[in-house]
Amino acid sequence: MAGCFKMAGMRWSVVRSFQTFCISPNISESLCCLFQQVRLKHQNYPRLRNPIWFVKKERTKYEEHLTQQNKSFIRDVVHDKYGGPPAIIGGVSTYQQSPLKIQPMDRGSWFLGCRRSGLIARNIGIYPMWLKDGTRVLTTLLQVVDNHVIRYIPPEEFNPPRTSVRNPKSKRRLGCLLVGAESADPQNFTKEYCGLFKDSGVMPTKILGRFLISPEAVMQPGTPLYASHFKVGDYVDVRGKTIYRGFQGVVTRWGFKGGPASHGVTKTHRRPGNIGSGGEKARVWPGQKMPGHMGNRYRILNGLQVLRVNTKYNVIWVKGQGIPGGTNSIVYIYDTFLPLRKPKEAPHFPTYYPEDEEPLPDEIYSENLHPFTAPTIKYEENV
Amino acid sequence: MIFNQLKKMALPNAARKLLLGVKSSFSLFQTTANAEYRYLSSVSNPKGLLSLEKEEENKVAGHKNVVPLECRFVYPEFLPDPRLDHRNSLREKLERMDMMNRRNHIDIPEFYVGSVLAVSSSNPHAPEKVTRFVGICIQRGGCGLRAFFIIRNVVDHQGVEMFYEMYSPVIQKIEVLRLEKRLDNELLYLRDALPEYSTFPLDMEPEYLPEGSAIPVNPIKVKLKPRPWLERWERQELKGVQDLGLPKRFYERAAAVAKPWEKYDLMAEYRESIPAEEQEEIFAEVYSQLHQLEVTRKIMKRKRTFVKPKKMG
Repeated sequence: MAGCFKMAGMRWSVVRSFQTFCISPNISESLCCLFQQVRLKHQNYPRLRNPIWFVKKERTKYEEHLTQQNKSFIRDVVHDKYGGPPAIIGGVSTYQQSPLKIQPMDRGSWFLGCRRSGLIARNIGIYPMWLKDGTRVLTTLLQVVDNHVIRYIPPEEFNPPRTSVRNPKSKRRLGCLLVGAESADPQNFTKEYCGLFKDSGVMPTKILGRFLISPEAVMQPGTPLYASHFKVGDYVDVRGKTIYRGFQGVVTRWGFKGGPASHGVTKTHRRPGNIGSGGEKARVWPGQKMPGHMGNRYRILNGLQVLRVNTKYNVIWVKGQGIPGGTNSIVYIYDTFLPLRKPKEAPHFPTYYPEDEEPLPDEIYSENLHPFTAPTIKYEENV
Repeated sequence: MIFNQLKKMALPNAARKLLLGVKSSFSLFQTTANAEYRYLSSVSNPKGLLSLEKEEENKVAGHKNVVPLECRFVYPEFLPDPRLDHRNSLREKLERMDMMNRRNHIDIPEFYVGSVLAVSSSNPHAPEKVTRFVGICIQRGGCGLRAFFIIRNVVDHQGVEMFYEMYSPVIQKIEVLRLEKRLDNELLYLRDALPEYSTFPLDMEPEYLPEGSAIPVNPIKVKLKPRPWLERWERQELKGVQDLGLPKRFYERAAAVAKPWEKYDLMAEYRESIPAEEQEEIFAEVYSQLHQLEVTRKIMKRKRTFVKPKKMG
């Protein structure tokens, strides 16, 4: 591949010299077009390096002719190794485990502008709640299932494929924290995938995500993360994969109005119409809204307020209903990056440790939210 | 052929048994599975047949079912939205918990479309911060905390409708002034009816039904105003409406666009309903608490009726 780049570069220089001495402008123009494309395609782009955790995940399952005894023996070995039987946590079938193989790490302290880990959650639906003044708000429920820290890669070692465009040689200051959610039977996964989890002592998880964190916010691999990682009233950004809609026309994709249904209109009910004018602009301008592929890409919704947290089922209620992805899809929750909604006070840092603090109540409500356990809202006479 | 295909499909056990049982006489099923049960309940089976089967099953098993089947008519909002891509068991459970918490603070009585209700709600703009509105319930719907109902009345010759969310914390009180059903599942045609059909005095006295009696069905037929209307009522197979008096072409068009086969689409019905087994599970979870609330309400009501004549005297 690298050789190929060099070749392309050399060819370009040859063409440039050729072009200067060339007599016929037509030939040079056509050649220029031909090679210019080649040059732009390979202009100093880094080779795609997949992150270390991008390994083959699913294993091909074939008939292994195991007896019932063999199967139960393997199951016992798995439970012994990971120290936990299968359990249903918050309505999701996973494993009850308490790893922490590695020596405890030093916990840093929070400072303004510090980046800590996020959570991996499932969007489980939307329902209305009411504020104390009687207004109705729609809330999205995000369930945090069985999140564990898997691995930490310090900034010096973390070498992501994409570097800063402005200053590619700038010193990297954020480390990478791998977080897994929803433990599953290791027999379902490949050897390489299971190897990622070896050091943490956590069972292989169905979902594996990464968060870029400040080195101060590091957590020991194996640390469980709970919904109370976020405090009520905090603002979060939620990232998810939008619903896949395939190739769509302009009415669905961009909300064009389409044409009339009748009055002599033929074959022009959902068409885009004109896509540009003539003269100097006689081409399709970049950014023209046209039919095409829609959905199935990551989008992020910023600045959602946490209204309520259920610590028993690990559910977070956030205000708003536009979270990317459908019900039961996976989302990533981060502390918001919006400057005016960033936390002013220290959040649970680096995360909420139930053993360190006083036990939280099952339900935590925001100050302006009306809990359903509270009596009916009545307005004061002289307000 | 159809039955063989149906056998393969993922129908709930009860529905499958029902289908097999009726295999010999399909016409019987046609007559019993009328539209009345389709919209009132989310159960895919006609009530009569299902209850018969349930009784048989109970006899075989030797125990009696605790949760009555009528729950799905009395508390329809406890059944979740049957759309499969919107369902999540934990969300539904949390939603039911919140609903029960709200029900501990406000008495949401049994009522149906056609019942006359009086709703008091907090209102920051009203002089006494409370608004009381009386009217006939013309529509009821929504699942879970989204449950709603619309009540309609005519005030000063002006039709007024109020949309209430059942679990909204600003609702202070819901009184049932007259508990009855009508011939249709939605009374939206009252908007195009003569005003006397939706006029109710604002100081209407509650009418008590004797305990244990069935909910009466009011067979009144409403007279609609002449066209133009909000909807094409002649196309909707309404039972509670007098002869519409339209020219012949309207009925011909209605017959041409009618889809009378849709009510026999069992798979569509299965998609639009919660299976009976799941309904039982859901009501088993909340029924004891609901029943307790109902008992306390009855006791309170009795006390109230006992106190009232004393005060009058």
